[in-house]
Amino acid sequence: MHRLRVVSGHLSPQNRLGPYSHAQIARSECSASLPVAADDIVVVHGLRTAIGKAKRGSFKDTTPDELLSAVMSAVLRDVGLSPDKLGDVCVGNVLQPGAGALMVRVAQFLSGFPDSVPIYTVNRMCSSGLQALFNVAGGIRNGSYDLGLACGVESMSLRSVGNPGDVSSRLMDNAKARDCLIPMGITSENVAERFGISREKQDAFALSSQQKASKAQERGVFQQEITPLTTRFVDEDGKERTIVVSKDDGIRPGTTVEGLAKLKPAFKPDGSTTAGNSSQVSDGAAAVLLGRRSMVEALNLPVMGVLRACAVVGVPPDLMGIGPAYAIPAALRKSGLSVADVDVFEINEAFASQAAYCVEKLGIPMEKVNPNGGAIALGHPLGCTGARQVVTLLNELKRRGKSRGRYCPFAAWKTSGLIMIDANLLTWHHPPVYFHCCTPLAGSDGTGGCAPLSRCLSAVEWAGFLLRVNPEWPAGTTNSERPL
Amino acid sequence: MKTFRCPSRHGYAAEISPFLPSRLACAASQHYGIAGCGTLLVLDQDEGGIKLIRSFDWNDGLFDVTWSENNEHVLVTGAGDGSVQVWDTANPRGPLQVLKEHTQEWDLERPQSLCTFRGHEGVVYSTVWSPHVTSCFASASGDGTLRVWDVKMGVSRLVIPAHNAEILSCDWCKYDQNVLVTGAVDCGLRVWDLRSTRQPVAELLGHSYAIRRLKFSPFHRTLLASCSYDFTVRIWDFSRPEPLLETLEHHTEFVCGLDFNLHIPNQVVDCAWDETVKVYIPASLADLQPCAD
Repeated sequence: MHRLRVVSGHLSPQNRLGPYSHAQIARSECSASLPVAADDIVVVHGLRTAIGKAKRGSFKDTTPDELLSAVMSAVLRDVGLSPDKLGDVCVGNVLQPGAGALMVRVAQFLSGFPDSVPIYTVNRMCSSGLQALFNVAGGIRNGSYDLGLACGVESMSLRSVGNPGDVSSRLMDNAKARDCLIPMGITSENVAERFGISREKQDAFALSSQQKASKAQERGVFQQEITPLTTRFVDEDGKERTIVVSKDDGIRPGTTVEGLAKLKPAFKPDGSTTAGNSSQVSDGAAAVLLGRRSMVEALNLPVMGVLRACAVVGVPPDLMGIGPAYAIPAALRKSGLSVADVDVFEINEAFASQAAYCVEKLGIPMEKVNPNGGAIALGHPLGCTGARQVVTLLNELKRRGKSRGRYCPFAAWKTSGLIMIDANLLTWHHPPVYFHCCTPLAGSDGTGGCAPLSRCLSAVEWAGFLLRVNPEWPAGTTNSERPL
Repeated sequence: MKTFRCPSRHGYAAEISPFLPSRLACAASQHYGIAGCGTLLVLDQDEGGIKLIRSFDWNDGLFDVTWSENNEHVLVTGAGDGSVQVWDTANPRGPLQVLKEHTQEWDLERPQSLCTFRGHEGVVYSTVWSPHVTSCFASASGDGTLRVWDVKMGVSRLVIPAHNAEILSCDWCKYDQNVLVTGAVDCGLRVWDLRSTRQPVAELLGHSYAIRRLKFSPFHRTLLASCSYDFTVRIWDFSRPEPLLETLEHHTEFVCGLDFNLHIPNQVVDCAWDETVKVYIPASLADLQPCAD
């Protein structure tokens, strides 16, 4: 790239005459431009179950292995891939004993996967689903296998958050360790107080989530991503019947500001966090099929998006929920992009307090945030949400015909992270350099006119990493791989 | 101001025909000249705007263009692959001639170079014939020197260490055969008198990034224009204590091409990476009378 070097040389500030001081010009690789490579980690397909309200909703009598089995089978069936081709399956889960290590193996056999396909689970709290993606991507990247399934599942009807496990009494002498025991609702209050997110703001955010989700549901937006599940349901009078679940049952179309304002604080007597502006406890599962591009193409499988990079950030345990405010800028910096470059942000709404804080802190225009609603309306099955958001995100991008999506989970206790996904199938090509102080070298497609750079960003609490995904590029003039 | 948009093509050089005041050419490249092909745009301006007369494509970027001074239809472009193309606007099919090896001087009557001038120790960014002395030309180089050459001699007649940075452009004063200006990556313009080259006659500061091209006005002795990576075109009069007359910020990308119209006083054409070519009369010049000498 001799010419690029020459031009870069012209912009270097050495030997500058005159007293002008300027922002540093820095040349950085723009992730938007990485060309297609056989080693790319691509997302082939993803599906989820509907999300049911815990203890009262559609899946209250459904064991998590059934939820998981349904999505795993459906994803493979949709693309016509036989399960023996999977190199590994990783499932995010939080509440099951041992994070569900045995339960998922049962699920695998319920799906008819051969015993030669390995499976394991991962628990990074609310980021587990996303961490599963990270893990599978890592396995592909380190050459362990070519195709893998990354899933998430949770039944909060059958298990609750509670037992912290066996921890030392020394925990009480260590402030940060002690903070790990703070109930989530209290961390929400902490965020609300510390950063001045008023009850009104939280309720407004919650209302927006409900409205967006119910509109999306009405328009049939979720039909593409939900796989219907036939399951058992026990009535109040103890009678068991079979139902088919294909709709999220947590959404409340009739939500109003007045209705939300009437709710009593749920965690602290004079607090601002209520049941209405918190995410719901829910049941659900999601699965995403990932693969190395060369194998995906060899098997004639479709490509929904390409993953590029990961990052993990930690935040104070007592302010769990501010994760995205750290993860998102880290991801943007890595990719040489800015909030303005991103079209859609999916930020997990663990609580309206933290979600609103992150949106405000990063200056993200509200119309870009969670276009189809978030966890407040849809529900938050802990281990599942990360994977669920990827599915929702990719489908949203497909619908918009837009080029880039970013998915951001953020973590509660220690980690915060971001996944960025590109689902662009436009072919455009631009130089892989972004001069920070000038306008980005946005590409032009061959027919004239600039292709829009649109991105999605979504965040889930508890998450741990950033996966950056890039569009399908034609073979470019340079190729710079970013290590995962 | 008249604007011509060339989608997907980023302008590197623009020059107005010495024969037809309404005719101009722009050498432009795809993908900012970093990769891809190039297009030579032959344009015509009238009161309504600028329209495309003809365009020629080349399979590498085109980075400079100049009109022939003995044939109104002929122009020459320099390409990224090291070749020089001679085009005829009356002939749409392709270049009349393609000459390879850009370090050499060409006689269009002969396909081989007439002469090679060695001396510079860096990229030669710009060469300009003297408008006064027929065998003389100047060159600006990445080695920081401005050199003046005589075609009859094989070596440089004069070497001026003009800047401590790469010099991207130079031009002769049209009214004084000893005066030249250089523009460099250090963001400064320096006006030189060949009779005393120890220090510049004037140093013009104002640009915030490297100067890409300079032109002396054909109508005024001390007036010149410069365009830069800082997206601006600036008009200077180095005879004044405050030499910067005007800063034009009508581009949104690096401005690479610049030329004065020889027939329409004070009319300027420029082109930039933002896919536009613009023709205008800068406000600071609009009121000036052409120089009497």
